Amino acid sequence: MNWEIKTVAMFASEALREGYLGAAGYIILGVVAIAGFLAVLGMVLIYAERKVAGHFQCRLGPMRVGWHGVLQTVADTIKLFLKEDIVPFQADKVLHILAPLFTLLGTLLVLAVVPFSPGMQVADVNIGVVYVTAVGGFGVLGILLGGWSSNNKWSLVGAMRAGAQIISYEVSATLALLVVVLFSGSLKLSDIILSQEQGWWIWRAPVVGLVGFVIFFIASTAEINRTPFDLPEGESELTAGFHTEYSGMRFAFFFLAEFINMFIISAIAATLYLGGWMPFHIGGLDGFNAVMDLLPPGAWFAGKTSFLIFVLMWFRWTFPRLRVDQLMRLEWKILLPIGFVNLIAAAFMVMFGWYYGN
Amino acid sequence: MEIKFKTLVAPEIKRGCLMGNMFNALGSLWKGMKITIYYLTHPSTVVTQQYPENRETLKMMDRFRAQLTMAHDENGHHTCTACGICDQNCPNGSINVVDRKNPITGKKELDRYIWRMDSCTFCNICVQVCPFGTLEMKGNFEASVYDRRLFVYTLNKYAGPDQKNLLKIENLDDRKKQMESRDIFGGPVPLSGQSIAGLEAGVFDQLRKTEEAATNG
Amino acid sequence: MSVIVSSLEQRIRADNLKESPLSTQEYFVNMGPQHPSTHGVLRMVVKLDGETVREVIPVLGYIHRGIEKMGESFGYRQFVHMTDRIDYLSALINNWAVSMTVEKAAKIELNDRIQIIRTIMAELQRIQSHQLWWGVFGMDMGAFTPFLYGFRDREIITDIFEETIGARLTMNYIQPGGLMFDIHPNFQKRVKDFLKYFKPKLEEYETLLSGNVILQERVRNVGIMDAKTAISIGATGPVLRASGVKHDLRKLDPYGVYDKVDFDVPVGRIGDCWDRYWVRIEEIKQSMRIVEQLIDNIPEGKTMLMKPAVKIKLPEGTYYSQVETPRGVLGVFVVSDGKDKPYRIHLRTPNFNNIWSITEMSSNWRLGDLVAMLSSLDVVVPDIDR
Repeated sequence: MNWEIKTVAMFASEALREGYLGAAGYIILGVVAIAGFLAVLGMVLIYAERKVAGHFQCRLGPMRVGWHGVLQTVADTIKLFLKEDIVPFQADKVLHILAPLFTLLGTLLVLAVVPFSPGMQVADVNIGVVYVTAVGGFGVLGILLGGWSSNNKWSLVGAMRAGAQIISYEVSATLALLVVVLFSGSLKLSDIILSQEQGWWIWRAPVVGLVGFVIFFIASTAEINRTPFDLPEGESELTAGFHTEYSGMRFAFFFLAEFINMFIISAIAATLYLGGWMPFHIGGLDGFNAVMDLLPPGAWFAGKTSFLIFVLMWFRWTFPRLRVDQLMRLEWKILLPIGFVNLIAAAFMVMFGWYYGN
Repeated sequence: MEIKFKTLVAPEIKRGCLMGNMFNALGSLWKGMKITIYYLTHPSTVVTQQYPENRETLKMMDRFRAQLTMAHDENGHHTCTACGICDQNCPNGSINVVDRKNPITGKKELDRYIWRMDSCTFCNICVQVCPFGTLEMKGNFEASVYDRRLFVYTLNKYAGPDQKNLLKIENLDDRKKQMESRDIFGGPVPLSGQSIAGLEAGVFDQLRKTEEAATNG
Repeated sequence: MSVIVSSLEQRIRADNLKESPLSTQEYFVNMGPQHPSTHGVLRMVVKLDGETVREVIPVLGYIHRGIEKMGESFGYRQFVHMTDRIDYLSALINNWAVSMTVEKAAKIELNDRIQIIRTIMAELQRIQSHQLWWGVFGMDMGAFTPFLYGFRDREIITDIFEETIGARLTMNYIQPGGLMFDIHPNFQKRVKDFLKYFKPKLEEYETLLSGNVILQERVRNVGIMDAKTAISIGATGPVLRASGVKHDLRKLDPYGVYDKVDFDVPVGRIGDCWDRYWVRIEEIKQSMRIVEQLIDNIPEGKTMLMKPAVKIKLPEGTYYSQVETPRGVLGVFVVSDGKDKPYRIHLRTPNFNNIWSITEMSSNWRLGDLVAMLSSLDVVVPDIDR
């Protein structure tokens, strides 16, 4: 089956031959689409998290606003918009105000390359994986600035924890990404998806794929500060960590970024290891593959991503939090060595062609 | 001193080699995840009570202590003799028994039984010490109001002799005359050493009606 | 062990002078009085070096209500209901402590029915208190779900209390001379149902937290307090037992019917957070054993042996009695001058002593461990300040 990759960026460049106006239109379309998607996705995820958490804990979750509380997040957003934006006494005002925007910007930029389906992607950069890693690391800047500028010791401790944690775990996450890059031979996200037409890397690369996936998932969970790695917020230790002093919309930005990050890492993990929008294919079985193609690629992407998001929520509502030194030990003494061994093993497997569908 | 009783000693958490350790660790995490997913997939385990909606079916325990009331029999007679034992025994001065002399017989009788819910700790001592079984605790827990003066209750429905003395009077009309109706307390309400002015009778009724409308609506 | 007494100002001054080889600066943060894991209004001044805790200084008194002084203007019967409010998670056991002192002074012999009902109620209260502690411990460790599970199961015991007593938290049930009410007809059935329900749930507790590797790593060998320190601080209850001291008033100075029931006393090995955790979980099991033994053997008899309307007057003298609450030894000391009100009442509350062990065990651990240690002490702040 031939998949035709269409992106907003492509349309824009085609339109550029005709004139600037059309290209500008496409760019605005891309930005508006992402911004709209961001807002809607944030609300949906927050609602889902609260509902799932409720049922994990023998509760019902939101039930009052709208049918089964579906409008609860809308009400909360309106409330947050209307709340007073408090800047603490003697805080660094400029940084305090900018910090949430930095965090949100990081997540927004990554969304631009996420391939939702063959015809739905804003830009298909040829160094997609590098872009994701680079821009994804931008979020830590906002957290550090926010913690520093708040003029609060708790915030500062939270921010420093976040800095140490995110930078450490990025190493492991990147090593795990490289495994797939080795197998697919490309850094472009659409190429990586197309390379999984005969099967997903999680099972086509025996053991190595699974180990890489687990490492990436754990490291990314730590990168986005979710339980069991929620030390930067750690509400029982640091009251609220780096966003202790934030209120109203600026708090909402941090909150939104956290949830969108959850979507992003699930989407990237799905793209790299679970074939992204690619239906479940087994090389050679054409009849089976044709049946699988009946579902549109967008649905496959949504399914895989929401499953991974659910697993993240499942983690969060089951596990206690690690301690700060254990967190570092997990990264540098366990994940990193395994990641390196895994990467070397992957290199050998690619060299000798020891994987399915070769 | 020799200690003879049996004790259990806490087990030590064993830590093996790295790989075994890791698999055990993942196993233990998975076991915990199995418990939480069980509750997610079984909505019958939800224990949330949706309070205002389930008001019709909500039943309080019979002994629940939420509101002090005075028992009145089918004729509307209570058994309070204004002895004031409850008043003396109340730890926080929530009860004020006002007595008076009966204009005809000259005997002591209850004028007004004032109970302040806002300072009451629901310790139940008043009910326990009452020698006549006059008082009882009821389970009405929806007590929130917007004006604290509504927390001052007059428990007796009439001022006059208790059941025993009333039943001595054969003539029903005479009995009625002895029972002077008491409904609400309109006097000043003490508050942190000072007092706030009481409510007018009409205002009081109106306020209580709005409160009831607010709770029921 | 010598105790150095110095004021907060002195300590702050002394440490700013110190030079660290890495030229890092130690700093102070106020943990509390408003902090999610101090369980109320406990304030701790924490000296930190980065993440590492150098010193912890608890600052008490934010919820001091003068309950002892109030006792001097109450009668004995009235004072019982104040003890609901010192340690609200062991209200019945606190009631029992005061009632026991009064009964001892007035020389009242209680019948078996009263004693057994009191014992059952006290053990139910202990289970309930430990359930809540378990949930809160999970939450302090960052797992929110145990909190809800703990509360869900605690609700069943609170319902049992509500049916018999009519109150859920501040019960005022155990009175001098007996009990406020007889038990509700449904009581025995409900308790048995609860025991049947809770046994599998306790296994779930063990899987969800005790068996979880993250929690084990968080509590193992953290906050070790040896027996000598624990005794010198005056720690009691699970905190002392976790340090390996076999001290349980239910065995050493039996009251109620504890000398007639069969139960074991869990003790810790080295006195770390895991031992304190395990001791409490094991105590739930032992309490369930006690309740199981007693629930079918409640004899007939009166439930109130003193006339409630008559004011209690104790003969002149001093009286002391102590009980084992879920948090340790609660002692009630009464000085009577022969009147209907005590001349002086003193309460020896367990948490006031237990809280100081945090100063001994916390140095050079991380901030996250401090929360774990504090949670493993199971502090109820109103009990510290009275």
